[in-house]
Amino acid sequence: MAMLGGVRLIAQEGQGSSIAPAYTGPKVKVAVIGLGVWGREILSVLGRLPQAEVAALCDSYPAFLKRGARQAPGAVNEADAAKVIADRDISALIVATPTHQHREIALAALRAGKHVYCEAPLAHCLEDARAIAVAARALPGQVFQAGLQYRADPQRHFLLPFIRSGAIGRWIMARTQYFKKESWRRASSTPEREKEINWRLDQALSLGLVGEIGMHHLDQVSWFMDRRPIAVSGQGSIRLWADGRTVADTVQAQLEFPEAVNAYFSASLASSFGGEAETYHGSDATILMRESSAWMFKEVDSPLLGWEVYARKEQFQKDTGIVLKLGGSKQASFSEAEVKAEAEKTALYYSIEAFLRNCSSVDMARKDFVEVFGGDDPGLLRNHLSEVKRVPTGGYEEGYRATVLAIKSAEAVAQSKRILLEDEWFELT
Amino acid sequence: MELMKPHRMLFCLWSVALLIAVGLTNAETLELKARPGSKVRIDGTSTVHDWTVEGNLIGGSATVGAGFPLEAAQAVTPGPVAATVNAFIPITSLKSVKDGKPYSTKMDEIMYEKLGKPTHRNIAYSLDELILKSAPEANGAPFLFEAKGKLVVAGVTNLIQLPVEVTPMGEGQVKFATKTSLKMTDYKIEPPAPTIALGLIKTGDEVQLQVEWMTGKPVGK
Repeated sequence: MAMLGGVRLIAQEGQGSSIAPAYTGPKVKVAVIGLGVWGREILSVLGRLPQAEVAALCDSYPAFLKRGARQAPGAVNEADAAKVIADRDISALIVATPTHQHREIALAALRAGKHVYCEAPLAHCLEDARAIAVAARALPGQVFQAGLQYRADPQRHFLLPFIRSGAIGRWIMARTQYFKKESWRRASSTPEREKEINWRLDQALSLGLVGEIGMHHLDQVSWFMDRRPIAVSGQGSIRLWADGRTVADTVQAQLEFPEAVNAYFSASLASSFGGEAETYHGSDATILMRESSAWMFKEVDSPLLGWEVYARKEQFQKDTGIVLKLGGSKQASFSEAEVKAEAEKTALYYSIEAFLRNCSSVDMARKDFVEVFGGDDPGLLRNHLSEVKRVPTGGYEEGYRATVLAIKSAEAVAQSKRILLEDEWFELT
Repeated sequence: MELMKPHRMLFCLWSVALLIAVGLTNAETLELKARPGSKVRIDGTSTVHDWTVEGNLIGGSATVGAGFPLEAAQAVTPGPVAATVNAFIPITSLKSVKDGKPYSTKMDEIMYEKLGKPTHRNIAYSLDELILKSAPEANGAPFLFEAKGKLVVAGVTNLIQLPVEVTPMGEGQVKFATKTSLKMTDYKIEPPAPTIALGLIKTGDEVQLQVEWMTGKPVGK
């Protein structure tokens, strides 16, 4: 069927604009625990955020610590996470260790009064995920953010009301994909260390492709649809990297939502064509997302929205995509440098930025409250801090639910079976 | 029973009259201290869009004398009421919001700078005169006052007159509420004009201020 055209969806200026006076606000003293590939990616983002002061780096593996130190030369380097957590000067902790190590560190950090950014999935098993979420729920005066970076992406926040308001018509289905040719295997000098750093290849410790990557996609589908799936089925196989790993390098998962709407996730580490993309099919239009860009493809029989007539359009072979891109209004005029700076802001960038902003807001609110009322009544202070307005991100609740979905999806893939998702699994008791 | 001698009676009456004339004595005054739960909202305009700033922290205290309504059904007489008020809003407790969510840290920083950070940490108010205008017309409605006092913003002091609604909330708690418009330039604040992607934004000089200040008797009194 011929498509009428795609409209690139564009969010309003606000949080996203880079054109403003140099940052003069408070800095958040932050520590990063876990300096593998993702931890160093986080460190790279922190280096671009003026509100971050990287005070400490922690990894039990000296080579990772050394590499991290190059990115944050002023930070204290520490192999023992307990010492970093005990440092009273550090306000916020980012936990980027292997998933199965999150629980101990996140709980200790929360107990120590730190704000915590815990990478997603929160844990590799329900028990650990629940323990982290329950602990975070009990401490509303601290910031707890799950590393669901899409939940903090302004582009996706722009799309959310657009999709939920019915702009794509009746939900038909969602398809998401992740194709990247890489082994996931890391080399190391000793067999013991190699086993340790390759935890993602071990089914006992890792949720595999659907859990570590697909979780973000599946969470976003649920978020956009504003409903929880009722069942998941999946399958996986090792198509290329038969190197002793016990997780599949190629997977498919199917989420069943109410009213017979399905979401499909496909991923492979054996083939790269297609890359990473999300497609949301509706009866009036389909939205395609690649990273933080989005386009809308309208059906010829869909109602006229009005604004799309004036929107920018891009051609995709026979289809015309209407640009739905943050900050892409025709009225705005950006310099080349500004366009480049905006393009470098990934979902992870926005996620960490939101975390730091929320930490700063809570810390500032605590200081102001103590100046006005004193700090004698912890209950009053906690109530006040729990009401501090925060930038919307994935909190403990979203993190927990996404992790449950990841765990069950990984189980479905590993066992090639269909699992009915029970409500009680998603409840925090 | 011994009758009071005329000269002693005269002395007693004179003493009572003197106490009334002075206005506030320890026996008649009550301190109302700031409590959590206050609200501040500032609405403004610009050439691009309207904006809103919110806060929920007001410190300070009020000392009120006879005739100040502490109960909803209290009989009152319009006219001057003995009271002192010193209240303040930490400027960093004010945040820009949009659709109930935090808006822009850049806007917040510009606002703090314009409000005098770091030299002036608070917006401050002190009361000079409080006049009761009318009692509630319906159950639960507020007592209406007119307040004259000094407002200090960014270190600049202006005398202002405010309509104030006083609502006894029970259990010794009293809510003061007011709405007024203010001009930034009256406080020597140049309306911000930041440059953003859409060009130069010009902020309107006038803003609307709404305040709800929660106070109460000190706990245990």
